Amino acid sequence: MKKAFSDHLLDWSGRLLVLLILIFIALPFIVVFIVSFNDSSVVEFPPKHWSLRWYFNAFSYEDFVKGLRNSLMVAAVGSAISLIVGAMFAFVFNRYEFSIRRPLHAILMSPLIVPNFTIGLGALLLAKGIFVPRSFGLLVLVHVMVTLPFVVRGVSVSLQNFNQAYERAAESLGASPWYILITLTMPLLLPGLISGWLFAAVLSFNEFSASLFVANLRNQTLPIAMYNYVREYADPTLAALAVLYVVTSAAVLTVLHVFFRLEKVLNVE
Amino acid sequence: MSSDHQSSENVSARPAVQIDGVTKSFGNTPALEPCWMKIKRGEFLTLLGPSGCGKTTLLNLIAGFLEADNGELFLGEDLVTQVPPHKREIGIVFQNYALFPHKTVAQNVEYGLRTRGVPKEESRARVKEALSLVKLENFADRKPRQMSGGQQQRVALARALVIRPRVLLLDEPFSALDRNLRVSMQIELKEIQTKLGLTTIFVTHDQNEALSMSDRIAVMSRGRVRHVGSPQEIYEHPKDLFVATFVGDTNLFRARIESSEGRTRLDIGGRKVEISSEQKEPRDLPSAVIVAARPEQCSLTSVESPDAIPATVAVVVYQGSYVELYLECEAAVHGRIMMRDVSKSFFHIGDKVGIRLATKGLNIFGSEQEIG
Amino acid sequence: MWWSVDLFVVKTMSKRPFLGLFASPATLVAISIVAALLAIFQYSLRAYVPGSLRPGGFTIENFAVLWKPMFRKAFLTTFLLCFWTALLTLLAGFPLAYAMVRSKSSLVRGGILITSLTPMFLGEVIRTYSWMIVLGKQGIINVCLLRLGVISEPISLMFTTTGVVIALVHFTLPIVIIMIAAALSHIDWNLEKAAASLGAGRVRIFFTVTLPLATPGLVAATSTAFSWTFSAFATPQMIGGGKVQTISTLVYQVGFSSFNMPLAASLSLAGLLFTIAVLTLFNVGMRKIEKLGDC
Repeated sequence: MKKAFSDHLLDWSGRLLVLLILIFIALPFIVVFIVSFNDSSVVEFPPKHWSLRWYFNAFSYEDFVKGLRNSLMVAAVGSAISLIVGAMFAFVFNRYEFSIRRPLHAILMSPLIVPNFTIGLGALLLAKGIFVPRSFGLLVLVHVMVTLPFVVRGVSVSLQNFNQAYERAAESLGASPWYILITLTMPLLLPGLISGWLFAAVLSFNEFSASLFVANLRNQTLPIAMYNYVREYADPTLAALAVLYVVTSAAVLTVLHVFFRLEKVLNVE
Repeated sequence: MSSDHQSSENVSARPAVQIDGVTKSFGNTPALEPCWMKIKRGEFLTLLGPSGCGKTTLLNLIAGFLEADNGELFLGEDLVTQVPPHKREIGIVFQNYALFPHKTVAQNVEYGLRTRGVPKEESRARVKEALSLVKLENFADRKPRQMSGGQQQRVALARALVIRPRVLLLDEPFSALDRNLRVSMQIELKEIQTKLGLTTIFVTHDQNEALSMSDRIAVMSRGRVRHVGSPQEIYEHPKDLFVATFVGDTNLFRARIESSEGRTRLDIGGRKVEISSEQKEPRDLPSAVIVAARPEQCSLTSVESPDAIPATVAVVVYQGSYVELYLECEAAVHGRIMMRDVSKSFFHIGDKVGIRLATKGLNIFGSEQEIG
Repeated sequence: MWWSVDLFVVKTMSKRPFLGLFASPATLVAISIVAALLAIFQYSLRAYVPGSLRPGGFTIENFAVLWKPMFRKAFLTTFLLCFWTALLTLLAGFPLAYAMVRSKSSLVRGGILITSLTPMFLGEVIRTYSWMIVLGKQGIINVCLLRLGVISEPISLMFTTTGVVIALVHFTLPIVIIMIAAALSHIDWNLEKAAASLGAGRVRIFFTVTLPLATPGLVAATSTAFSWTFSAFATPQMIGGGKVQTISTLVYQVGFSSFNMPLAASLSLAGLLFTIAVLTLFNVGMRKIEKLGDC
């Protein structure tokens, strides 16, 4: 079938538009990439001399090293708790009818609407009110609150696609509820659990505005350290850090895409 | 297959399955009205009915996936009303087989043995035995999705059989198969069932499956068991109009009963039809009745003949070995009847014909009954 | 065990293994969320004692303060930022999501997916910093425009609403793309084929079939874009640089520069009610429009 000229025009203008939007998305990272190799300590474009010194600076700056360690800890603990709590809740929410089912769901999903800074402020005031110091535990709790909706949502999608006949079959074959949970339900929900955990971990690792309220100097996370750095220094150290961030994220995503097919994980197939 | 009861010889004290006044409703909607039923050891019983008739509810009650509101349920000697499914020792073949997609064929079959803690050696031998029973010895390491529908069904059957269940439940197991495969699987299943002497409860909405496979059929509708009997009884002497119309093709005529000089005659649209005395006593029935005649109980005759019910040919369908005729007939309940003409005479649409009913074996029902 | 108390049970269902055990931890988190929100509510009704971190007695003074021009302006700015960001994100996200779902090449699909998702993995600070470099006086936009002779003096997009909107669109784009793609991927292609077989051209099919069917997804995506933008703090703070004040930047400023926690609490509370009101109006309005379309 031969396409009309107008159809060709539509196709090509559509492609051009998509390309332009992709450039818009990639633009800041391309610029950051170039700037990160700039020798000058003032950000300028295009750079006149090249150097790697900002990368060394990023690795040796103590706040970044400490921030990275804190962020990894908070993200690891927070996302693990979030995954466990969220997956268990998604399970009962999708399976059972009980009196506080809807209100519980509404409250747990509310951080999708309630801004992170409000949750951070609320947690801070609550801690103050009950004389709890700004501790690691408080930080983790806030991270659990803001990441939980994404876990619940991700696991719920998998649960809705889960055929309960498998569990009935296992039951008829003599399996107890725990045995079914471990041998069937969990392995079959694994993609959903992994994507839920991944989302929680990434969001937690990058969480900034809620953490700003509840973190103290000792447990400040990497995003807070970076924010403070920008306020104090104008050199491209952060550009170097941004490049490392982008490269790592893109690599992780590519690997995930190859192994898990992201379209499936994100339910956009 | 189980040897537990061999010492006490009075095995026949209770049937394999006994349902005593079991009921179930969902909210305010009754799904199963009080139900009594006994299923003998080794018997193949079919629960037949349209969707929403309660057959699946009854199956789920027997399996333990639903809890009965009232009544009691026995499997052999044991009262199991309150027993959870995983302790009932029942084998189930599900509608879409529900084979565990992340396990191989052998692992699927082995699953029920692992939950029972059967030793590795014995378990391996039993899995092998079960797979050879369904002729799938060479497929042990495949994943379910690499197999055809018929093979998947065999795996599901092997998985249900390997645990040596007290009862085998089949939940519309053939509905996902195409016609030819369905027939051969039916034969194979029946063979295995007979060989093992396995008590089997089969749920279906397909009357042909029910008639060809069952020892007994329980026809259900609106949460009630309408008729339990052998396929022949169900087909030839249906208890009510629902059963008569749901199982097999049936033509229904409005009629009045007339008794004179000790003989009973039917008045169908002004034509008098003699019926033999083996019919139900006329006084049990109201004078306005519905006569149910199978297509093979109707024959064609000249429209002038005195006992012929007049009709007009509406549709002619060539079916190979016979011709299906759809006739418009005023005396018929739906205004239309169907019959088969093996002589394959050439009829044209609009031809006037007469229908003669067989004098024996007609079923007569009160006209207020529900039609299926 | 304590969790098997009848707390959760109303309707009797036959078997519900794990119900109490699985719902309990989530209940604890929910209680924390409610407690945090109640703490804000409580503080918003307390008096500010200058120089002290402890709040004073109960008052509704804080809400009167919010009527000052500075705060009113912040509400307006925040609303406009959210509006423009949501609109532009939708316009930029739709073609990309459409291309991703409909492209026949898996390479193109994967490429778009990874390019549009990567920013989501970077967090607000990194992304905003990158835009600071792009938008600044020495940034790429200025350099290019100067070289091309379009402008003679460097224009600064930093510290302007336009600059903040550009960065915010970039910030909300990934989630919007995912949501629109999810909506588009669940539309049955055959409907478009049916429309084509009935003689509809591609533009007509798009506006009469594809777009109406994607509307619920678009509404959800717009709501999300709106609340993400409202929630954004690093972007308006770093690019706005104090010149563009939003509710989020003011909450932080009031809370941590002047330690006026009661005012910060009342401002967040007002902001929260404000978003809920806007989102409700938007959703109700969209539903009305959809209903009109049905007639």
